[in-house]
Amino acid sequence: MITTRMTRRVAAALMASTLLAGAANAQTVNFWYHFDNADNPMSDLVAKFEAENPGIKVNAENIPWNSYYDQLYTSLAAGTAPDAALVKLNALPRLLEMEALEPLDARLDAWEGKAEIQDNLLTLTAAADGGHYYLPVQYVVLYLYYRTDMFAELGLTPPETCEQFRDAAIALTRDTNGDGQTDVYGFGFRGGRGGHDHWASFVLSREGVGFGPGELTSAAGVEGSQFVVDLFRTDKVFPPSAPNDGFQEIIGAFKNGTTAMTIHHIGSSADMVATLGDNVSAVPVPECGGGRWTSFGDESTAIFSSAQDKDAAWKWISFLSSPENNAAFNVATGQLPVTKTDSAAWNLHAERFVDATVASLPFANLLPNVSETADFANTVWPVAMQRALIGEISAEAMNTEIDSLYNK
Amino acid sequence: MSALQAPPVPLSRRVLPYAMLSPAVLVTLAIVFLPMIQAVWMSLHDYVLFRPRVFDFVWFKNFQTALADPVFWISLRHTVIWIAITVPAQMLLGLATALLLNQEFPWRGLARALVIIPWALPSVVIALMWVWIYDSNYGVLNDLLLRMNLITASVPWLANPDTALYAIILTLTWQGFPFFAVMILAGLQGIPKSYYEAAAIDGASNFRQFWHITLPGLAGVLMTATLLRIIWVANSIDVIFVMTGGGPGYSTYTLPLYAFINARTGLNYGYGSALAVSFTLVLLGFVILYLRRAGRNIG
Repeated sequence: MITTRMTRRVAAALMASTLLAGAANAQTVNFWYHFDNADNPMSDLVAKFEAENPGIKVNAENIPWNSYYDQLYTSLAAGTAPDAALVKLNALPRLLEMEALEPLDARLDAWEGKAEIQDNLLTLTAAADGGHYYLPVQYVVLYLYYRTDMFAELGLTPPETCEQFRDAAIALTRDTNGDGQTDVYGFGFRGGRGGHDHWASFVLSREGVGFGPGELTSAAGVEGSQFVVDLFRTDKVFPPSAPNDGFQEIIGAFKNGTTAMTIHHIGSSADMVATLGDNVSAVPVPECGGGRWTSFGDESTAIFSSAQDKDAAWKWISFLSSPENNAAFNVATGQLPVTKTDSAAWNLHAERFVDATVASLPFANLLPNVSETADFANTVWPVAMQRALIGEISAEAMNTEIDSLYNK
Repeated sequence: MSALQAPPVPLSRRVLPYAMLSPAVLVTLAIVFLPMIQAVWMSLHDYVLFRPRVFDFVWFKNFQTALADPVFWISLRHTVIWIAITVPAQMLLGLATALLLNQEFPWRGLARALVIIPWALPSVVIALMWVWIYDSNYGVLNDLLLRMNLITASVPWLANPDTALYAIILTLTWQGFPFFAVMILAGLQGIPKSYYEAAAIDGASNFRQFWHITLPGLAGVLMTATLLRIIWVANSIDVIFVMTGGGPGYSTYTLPLYAFINARTGLNYGYGSALAVSFTLVLLGFVILYLRRAGRNIG
């Protein structure tokens, strides 16, 4: 009896010490990401990774998108940052300024998966000094969604130019049930944070317009912003809530038929098709003022210089950008894989959306690779655009504010 | 003489009260006073989070910048409107509710419990709920007003700069009135019934009873609750942040929100702290009034 009890105690003590030792040996990689969709696929990928890499534990945390960068920057400054995270290119200059990023060049060169990454992506995601701090994990290109049924009903064709776009938007804005209320608006404009992509397609496409000194305040630059303001204030082709609308609002309004066109990327196509079936399609954004401009939507992973175990963090992020795993990741986010193998076998999206994406690639652009871009996207653009939309400031004043941010 | 003859209080007994108080004092110092001092210290520096190596002492430069910053004045004006409408509206609604709940009627206990719901709900839930109520496409408010022919077209309450701030004020009034109702209800029950009986015998009308007995009886409670609420409402940014984030443009910026956006989104902790410190100075008058009242009540 006593022997049995002793044995049990010894066994329990042994088990406890093994567990403790195991916990002490296991490296934990804290990883932050943001996914719009609620069904979280990360747990499967984490389980697979942990099975392949015993001794490394991944703690993946989904951070709400609206405050993702606020949280990331403050946690970096406070010393409580994760070891690795999902990051966008427009955050790269600021993260470098904070000395928060771990250079990846040596690891990339030694990595067998490097050849698998699609050709231009590593060039696109390089820092201004040519070094690599980001490992691409998915990409998208923004295009114009439109309601095929509404266009067919009015005998319209998808707009090729800004003028055609405006005419179509005016025609599509109508009272469909005769109650004196507008039921459908031509275009769902994103006036809240993240909407600079919409604005950019109408403004930065114009000849000689970019973020250089005086470019936005030139006649062509002002004309671009004025075009957007007029669509809202004069033509009234955006829903009245447009100044505050964010991602959820523009996608929701398009899906329920409140808007007939909007700009987003392939990531929302599956959801759109599930609701609208064949009544939704996509084309590249229209040509405005002599050119086209659309946003290249990138998402990469990075390791922070404060990471506890950088080797473990690298294993995890390179795992996410390896064939098969990258496909699983992108099935979850609905975006496009970065590996050659997964791209060749990709069949998640309806062909028309992949075609619109590919057709948009030649004029897909990124915002300037400088620290000010973070302020542009997070505060300066949303406030200036909203003020211009509600008539508090002119389109010219709006462009002047942005110009003075970039060209102090 | 007698004091001299009293046996000396042992040291342990003299120290004991301080020893028992010290954990609370230490915690308060650590989580209230230390961050306060830190905020004042940061407000005197150039401190932008993404330039961690720069932490230059700049004296009152951030305060000078604030005074010359048009957004500071816009935010201050909104803060004044925000407090001047929200607190009286909450108080009046709370007073009416408390008077009603003080009457005898069936299910009174249930009504008293239900009225606390807005106060008990998390601010974020309330904000999201009201965003849907105000929605210009599906919102119930527009639908009701349209059905009653009070408006001819849906109003984008939160996207229109003329209505956005007032729409949020209504939300906060709804959220905060139960606090007044409960406080006033407690105050009402402290007024002796005999006063009303005496007044009735003297032939005082209901209004005169309310004016000469109820209101003076509630004065203490009303004053304390109002001061507390002014401080809370002035500092409350959660509902605004969730409903509009300050937009459209600067239409719903209040000073604490402006300080928060500067610090958290703009990462400019120096300037953000200066804004917060300036606002604290503005609020200090109310805080001192409240502390004096609280101190007097204890005394």
